[in-house]
Amino acid sequence: MSNIKNNKNNKNNIKRYQNPEVFEQLAIEYAVGAMQGRARKRFETLMETHFYLRAVVDAYENKFASLVELLPDAQPSNQVWNNIEAHIQSSSSQSNQQKEKTPWWSTGFFKQGFGLAAMALVISAVLLLNPMTLTPEATASLYSAVLESDSHEPMAVTKIQKSDMMLSFDLMKKIDVADNMELTLWCHPRKGGEPMKMGTIAKTGKTMIKISKAEWKTLKNVGRLTISAEQKNVNIKQPKGNMILQGQLSSSS
Amino acid sequence: MEDIYAEMLQKTAAGDQLAFKQLYEATSPKLMSLCLRLMRTEALAEDVLQEGFIKVWEKADSFSPGKGKALTWMSTVIRNKGLDKLRSLKTKAAETEIQYEGLEFSSADLEPDSLENLSQDIKGLMDCLDKLKPDQRECILLSYYYGHTHQELANKMDRPLGTIKAWIRRGLEDIRPCLT
Repeated sequence: MSNIKNNKNNKNNIKRYQNPEVFEQLAIEYAVGAMQGRARKRFETLMETHFYLRAVVDAYENKFASLVELLPDAQPSNQVWNNIEAHIQSSSSQSNQQKEKTPWWSTGFFKQGFGLAAMALVISAVLLLNPMTLTPEATASLYSAVLESDSHEPMAVTKIQKSDMMLSFDLMKKIDVADNMELTLWCHPRKGGEPMKMGTIAKTGKTMIKISKAEWKTLKNVGRLTISAEQKNVNIKQPKGNMILQGQLSSSS
Repeated sequence: MEDIYAEMLQKTAAGDQLAFKQLYEATSPKLMSLCLRLMRTEALAEDVLQEGFIKVWEKADSFSPGKGKALTWMSTVIRNKGLDKLRSLKTKAAETEIQYEGLEFSSADLEPDSLENLSQDIKGLMDCLDKLKPDQRECILLSYYYGHTHQELANKMDRPLGTIKAWIRRGLEDIRPCLT
């Protein structure tokens, strides 16, 4: 019984945090340091799962952080830098040691002469079975982006997950566009070229779009996401209307 | 105004230790000053500064120049380290070095010479803060620079806890439209 009640409370809390009026006030309180104790900890837990909270907090933290300019200088002791330098040196030598450890291509097997053919076979198999594993983005299982307005206000969060091949797009504030217009999501290649049209986005709330395997593969080359307002029922391959929101796509494993 | 530290931070992200040292030398006096106010003792302030700069070294690649200045990004990283440390200590250090009190440095009436060296960001923020009632402004700045809890502010300003909470809540509500 109490579990049901707790679940209900949690759901209500999450809904409360999705209300921009509420979460903007909480975000500014967090950023300035006025949110403390358990409330601060709870909010940090929520930020881990709700990207828009993180984005709004980041924006406010950035505003207040310029207060550091007003402070008078205070020189730390030399020991601080010495400790930092020692830490950097020791961690870089550890990572070098790790790189040097177990160089599998120079093990006895390969030194004995029949290594090259076997290595070629292994590389061919890797390429054939999983060509993506040779790129750093290959391990990505989630792409995400926070999209901002012209005035750098975070307005939407998008997540694209490999597990269900779904793109979810959460608009935090309603976007007002004329009735004959619709919002279209575009993925722009990092190195330039034609953008990929991902679909139409609802003017408020959440939109879910199923993506194909080919689209998932293309995401590793995508840099920027944009939302433009386009004429309804007109088939276009490139954005023609005004760009309303944009953000950088980042990957995580 | 150009962000003079952004290039050093970007070189740091690429593993350039010399650039990181230059960045430390240029920014550590301001950031130490922030740590002293937050932690109140030199020993704790230096601990936080050290841990904060190590985090800056490790996370420099997550700095994005389009989203803000290098110094503000670094001060957020280091201040959050300080707040975590305060939370882990549970209570503030009993030993408080008295010179790290007050808000004279953030006075609204700064000398023209001092104003010249400030960025547009801080000038904009100061304009917003100046629109608040003096008590609200003071509470917000004391929260930011000193990490005071509401109860500490109530004791320091000799006001009921509810009044302090209301000042901060309303002050932040009032300042929001000015910040966006």
